[in-house]
Amino acid sequence: MNARHVGLIMKKELRGLGHEKTILLAILLQLFVAMFSSFLMVGLTSMYDPAAMSQYSGYRYGIGYAGNNESGLAAYFENSRDFTLHRMDLSTAVQALRERKLAAVVYVPDTAPDAEEPVVVTLYTLQNDLQSAIVEVRLKDAFTRYETDLRKVRSERLTEEPLPMSIPGSRTGGGTNFYEFVYGLLIPLLVFMPAFISAALVIDLITEEYQHDTLETLVSAPVAFTDIVWGKILACELLVPLQAALWLGLLMLNRIAIANVPLILLHVTLASAILTLLGALTALHYRERTAAQFIFSTALVVVVLFILAVPSNPLNLIARLAIGSDAPENWLVLALVGALLVLVIIATGKYAERVRDRIHGS
Amino acid sequence: MTRSVLPLAAVLFILLVIVTGFAAQSGMHLQDGMYRIGVDRADTASIFAGDPRFDVVVTDYQTLSANRNSFDLIIINGRAYNLWNDRSRAATSTLRQDYSRYVTIVYAEQEDLYAAYPLWIDVQDVKSELSFSATQSGQYISAKPDENPPVPEGAVEEVAIPEPTSAVSQEDLRASLQKSATENTQVSRYAGILGQKSSAAATATTIRTPSQLSPPLPFDTIILIFVFIFPMYFTSQFCMMSVMNERIERRGEILLSMPVPKTAIIAGKILPYFLGMLAIAGVLTLWMQADPVILLPLIPVILFFLASALFIGMISRSFKELSFVSIFFSTIATSYLFFPSIFANVHVIALISPLTLIVLTLQGTGFTAMDFVYSTALFWLTSAVIFWVCIRNFTEERLFSEHGFLTRIREFIASAIPEKMPWLGLFLLGALMIPFVFMVQMMLLVLFFNLPMPYSLVLLIGAAAFVEELAKSLGIYALFVRSPGWLTWRNLVLGAALTALGFLVAEKLLLLVTLAQIAESVFGSILFTSLQVLWMPFLLHVVGVLIVGACLKAWGRRGFVPGLVLATAVHCLYNLVLILGWLQ
Repeated sequence: MNARHVGLIMKKELRGLGHEKTILLAILLQLFVAMFSSFLMVGLTSMYDPAAMSQYSGYRYGIGYAGNNESGLAAYFENSRDFTLHRMDLSTAVQALRERKLAAVVYVPDTAPDAEEPVVVTLYTLQNDLQSAIVEVRLKDAFTRYETDLRKVRSERLTEEPLPMSIPGSRTGGGTNFYEFVYGLLIPLLVFMPAFISAALVIDLITEEYQHDTLETLVSAPVAFTDIVWGKILACELLVPLQAALWLGLLMLNRIAIANVPLILLHVTLASAILTLLGALTALHYRERTAAQFIFSTALVVVVLFILAVPSNPLNLIARLAIGSDAPENWLVLALVGALLVLVIIATGKYAERVRDRIHGS
Repeated sequence: MTRSVLPLAAVLFILLVIVTGFAAQSGMHLQDGMYRIGVDRADTASIFAGDPRFDVVVTDYQTLSANRNSFDLIIINGRAYNLWNDRSRAATSTLRQDYSRYVTIVYAEQEDLYAAYPLWIDVQDVKSELSFSATQSGQYISAKPDENPPVPEGAVEEVAIPEPTSAVSQEDLRASLQKSATENTQVSRYAGILGQKSSAAATATTIRTPSQLSPPLPFDTIILIFVFIFPMYFTSQFCMMSVMNERIERRGEILLSMPVPKTAIIAGKILPYFLGMLAIAGVLTLWMQADPVILLPLIPVILFFLASALFIGMISRSFKELSFVSIFFSTIATSYLFFPSIFANVHVIALISPLTLIVLTLQGTGFTAMDFVYSTALFWLTSAVIFWVCIRNFTEERLFSEHGFLTRIREFIASAIPEKMPWLGLFLLGALMIPFVFMVQMMLLVLFFNLPMPYSLVLLIGAAAFVEELAKSLGIYALFVRSPGWLTWRNLVLGAALTALGFLVAEKLLLLVTLAQIAESVFGSILFTSLQVLWMPFLLHVVGVLIVGACLKAWGRRGFVPGLVLATAVHCLYNLVLILGWLQ
């Protein structure tokens, strides 16, 4: 292998990418996503956990209240900073809700607190609506307090109590899943996205030579076939840490603190190198884009699913590194990935030589 | 694709099944060990042992307090202590969820369930639709709370007083409690959306305890995107590749030399993919046991995907370009389909996405013929225009040219204007641009809608004006590049007038047909200049094209971008005067 030739091919491919300006589309896309990430953050987070929405609003909601006037529940609503309680007729209240003049309507029956049967409260909310998702989180708080009161009244009828525990913290459950969503899902996936793109790219670069019939020209030049393949692989691989770093940078601009950035980039670079090499192997084998992309993307699903099912996988380690917790096994995993990478490098080298011999033979 | 793929594909499929089984057994290990907690008692620790997110250390009280900072949380004597940082707070919330799950398991065992769970909540959904013009910012939809109870404007329908007791038996409630404590709530929420029809029995218990009261999920539609749009995206990928392959391997030449009309070649190419996508959507509909009516709004979407696939396949020079352009296109198209449909039930604006119709049908609301026209018209029109442009350009010269991406798009547009009848060409081009302009502006509207009021309006004014000016000047620009000598002052004025006329006619027609509702709101008045006065917008359109044309004449092709900026500025000024005058 000639390092200078590999470097030349690599530069040629990178220049090609820059020249075609299509890489700009990829970066534009990244910016597009980042630009609307405030919306995405709100949107995706609430998809993951609607309770997190409640932190985005500080607002007094109008609540319609009908039924039992002596109920302790009414007091919780009246004393809450989130609600303004309106005692109204049920039918009028529901119509007002339909016209969005109220955020929710509560009907409380006349059941006594110490009765045999449960207190069944009817809650009317707007269907499938962002606003009512927020309101319901607030309502849940008042309901839970009232439940505790009622439980105390009826406590003699219980035979076993759970282990008591007092947990400090916020009133609503919001925030936690946002944290877990960002660190435990978004960061590992976004950081690995460039790896998937690069693997697809190397398939394009290699099959292109076959399908454009430009391979003969290249092979007859004083550059070895294996150098061409390695040049292309390196060009794609070089993009991965750059793009991953760009993602992390954009996330940090969104005020998400990320620890251990160099180590994360190292993990991504090594793992993505394996993917890129597998992509190159597939391309060398099939020589045709449709087939190679199809096989590779199917294989990718299998591999990613398998990796996720293994404890302490690189994606999990990236999540843990990003939040700054110490993950001592990450060095072991890094070594294992490195060893696997060496094996795949050797395999790719051997296969490329075989393909070269076949070309020269024919 | 060759047959050599099949054996490996079969192996991969078997592997996929095995790996899925393995993953189901082992679970997803993405968030393992995120938090480290220290506990002083083994029985407390056993509550959290099942949650892989926790790394639980059981040790004595002294060790815990001595190493206070090496744990995200410590639990001493049934009391949890956290640190003042985000990770510790997140750990606290996760702990709270796990604890409440444990409490549920204990309480659900109680003989007297109504002593453990004295309060039940019967959640009733109320449907409400808001007209677009009622809200101008889209931020807070509910009315300002007042000290006095609100008085409804519409007629009050009688609502039956709910029964004080529950219709569901104690044992059924117990079972649902135990189920909710053991299942993974995140997964079950999504699974529940797809199985809406089939799991009707499960949803029969609308009554819940306060802790089961998880808010309704307003984002059902993302699931629909994954289910319906992803297969389409993949199939259209294959369509793109097949078009591209013909160009690269020059098989297309043989096709072109055959005595078959180009329309037939393209129709023959597209038809199998169209049927395939329809079949996939049909199978999915059957699987979900949904009303087959949801296939109707999917047809224009499928056509749009295929038209774009054909176009992308025809303009990309290389596979790299194809990959990037198709990823870019699919992201944009998916956001266009996805973002508005989030607001299904809330806003008429949701109807600009055909997916909203699917959401409505799945919810059992259904849609009217007018809704169908409203939300699919742009898709039908844009697909038709793209197909037409592709058919016109399905020639040897275009298919096998090696020009750059933007150059090719310009060539495509130029070829849409016949050399013998440039006037008619410009008029039609102006008219045909309208559906695209509307689509882009709708997208902008949806995106900017989430910003606070002054910013959303300002951004929308600028962006909408730019999009319109760009669309209008493309024709003149393409003609100018084809033959710079053609652009005399007389031709420029005439061309500007005809482009503007085409633009205006199509704009008003489409507005009358579909978008009357949006057009009446303050946002509409920026996007689509008012319906009443026709000569003012006409003049505006003419001036815009004239400015760009004059810049082209003065500085050649370099003048295009400055001209666009200048025209956008004039357009914005006009809009500001119009809207400010109207607001005051």
